[in-house]
Amino acid sequence: MDKILLLWEGSGLYNLSLPQFVMIAICLLLLYLAIVKKFEPLLLLPIGFGGLLANIPEAGLALSAFEQSLAAFDPAVMQSYADKLGVVLDGGSKAANQDILLPAIKSLSDITVMQELKGMAAAAGYTDGMLNTFYQITIASGAAPLIIFMGVGAMTDFGPLLANPRTLFLGAAAQFGIFATVLGAVGLSSLGIVDFNINQAAAIGIIGGADGPTAIYVASMLAPELLGAIAVAAYSYMALVPLIQPPIMRALTTKAERAIVMSQLRPVTKREKIIFPIAVLVLVALFLPSAAPLLGMFCLGNLMRESGVVDRLSDTAQNALINITTIFLGLAVGSKLVAHLFLTVETLGILALGIIAFGIGTAAGVLMAKLMNKMSKMPINPLIGSAGVSAVPMAARVSNKVGLEANSQNFLLMHAMGPNVAGVIGSAVAAGVMIMYLK
Amino acid sequence: MQTAEPTTNLMMEGFNLMLMGMGFVFAFLTLLVIATTLMSKIILRFSKPEPQVVPNNKGAARLVKGQNSDIIAAISAAIHLHRQRK
Repeated sequence: MDKILLLWEGSGLYNLSLPQFVMIAICLLLLYLAIVKKFEPLLLLPIGFGGLLANIPEAGLALSAFEQSLAAFDPAVMQSYADKLGVVLDGGSKAANQDILLPAIKSLSDITVMQELKGMAAAAGYTDGMLNTFYQITIASGAAPLIIFMGVGAMTDFGPLLANPRTLFLGAAAQFGIFATVLGAVGLSSLGIVDFNINQAAAIGIIGGADGPTAIYVASMLAPELLGAIAVAAYSYMALVPLIQPPIMRALTTKAERAIVMSQLRPVTKREKIIFPIAVLVLVALFLPSAAPLLGMFCLGNLMRESGVVDRLSDTAQNALINITTIFLGLAVGSKLVAHLFLTVETLGILALGIIAFGIGTAAGVLMAKLMNKMSKMPINPLIGSAGVSAVPMAARVSNKVGLEANSQNFLLMHAMGPNVAGVIGSAVAAGVMIMYLK
Repeated sequence: MQTAEPTTNLMMEGFNLMLMGMGFVFAFLTLLVIATTLMSKIILRFSKPEPQVVPNNKGAARLVKGQNSDIIAAISAAIHLHRQRK
């Protein structure tokens, strides 16, 4: 009978807490969005599944060795922790001892003592959970977003941008969404609704860059505790670009403006395409070294593509490597979908601010394009401005679609690709500025 | 009202970040526009317009020729196989 009771107490059902149950429901919703609604399935599917794994009670897949030992709360191990910290475990029950020990560990600021505690956990036979290991390797190291960025570089054609370099301004204007959201986030904190510090506000703002890897990279550097919510918001809103953008674009333009036909792009030579990534890198090296990891990998991928001499590497970067990385990146983001990090008022704030960031970015891009149309002799259709929020190539397709509604003979896709890839550069630069300013 | 000071500080910091961020993004991309335009001009000058226009026709003709020879190769291979089977 005792054995059966033990088995029951070790089961998932017995240990399932309400927050875990809610998180499992949320992860199933993410899987539903990925599979049925086709919302960025490449990422939301592994993220949702990783979240499911992370919330399995007692399995502790998302926990580090030290956290595992605390969750197990083995009396002998806990006594050794207490001795190290100099607290006395005199509580009669397990719960009373937890009340003594956990706050003492939480308030511990000495890194060397913390390291020793972690060493003791490892010595007691606890190991890092699988998802925790993936997180350490892919995100905490910063590697996975950078590898994905290299793949994105290898997929990007800078031709339309080189044919009309001024579209870079549109990519810059759309980054206003990022910084306006930072202001919104600190505003919400000063109103006392939520509690974000400036680093967290910056990490939330980067959702407005509409660039998944950049958002994950910045969040992992500035606010790893919010990473789950930020990644989920970034990828779900990217999938919603075709719904979020058109109403804003229509509201800010007249029908005549939307029907503007742009002159055809000049052909771009191969030599220009080869030199461009190198030129970008030189500028980054000279003016913004903190953006060098992101833009460096991006330029490397692009150079592999355009040079034409390493087709095998370029092919690997944009297919096999990016796919492998995506699997582990998704699972690692999923490991942050645990109840105590995700089920907070902050998450609601992040979701709300994220969509505002998208909206402001879109509006700023469109307004900038209107301004440029007024200033320059060459006609510029304001609709291509909205493509300045990266989200390649979805945002460019949206510009094309809205343009066709106004003038069925007007194909804006190639014109919108210019601001679209400019947006990728712009959000990487914005990320670099934030990292430089806050770190 | 005790929290008034830290929150205004936070707002100030957010505002600074916005000014600096947008300023830097625009400055950097402006530089990139200038650099790109210059680069394109230099390259186009040195590679001369001649190979710009002519290869278009030649390239197209070559492509058709290449396709033809591919097709011819495929047909003759098929005939060869066919005969061998007999």
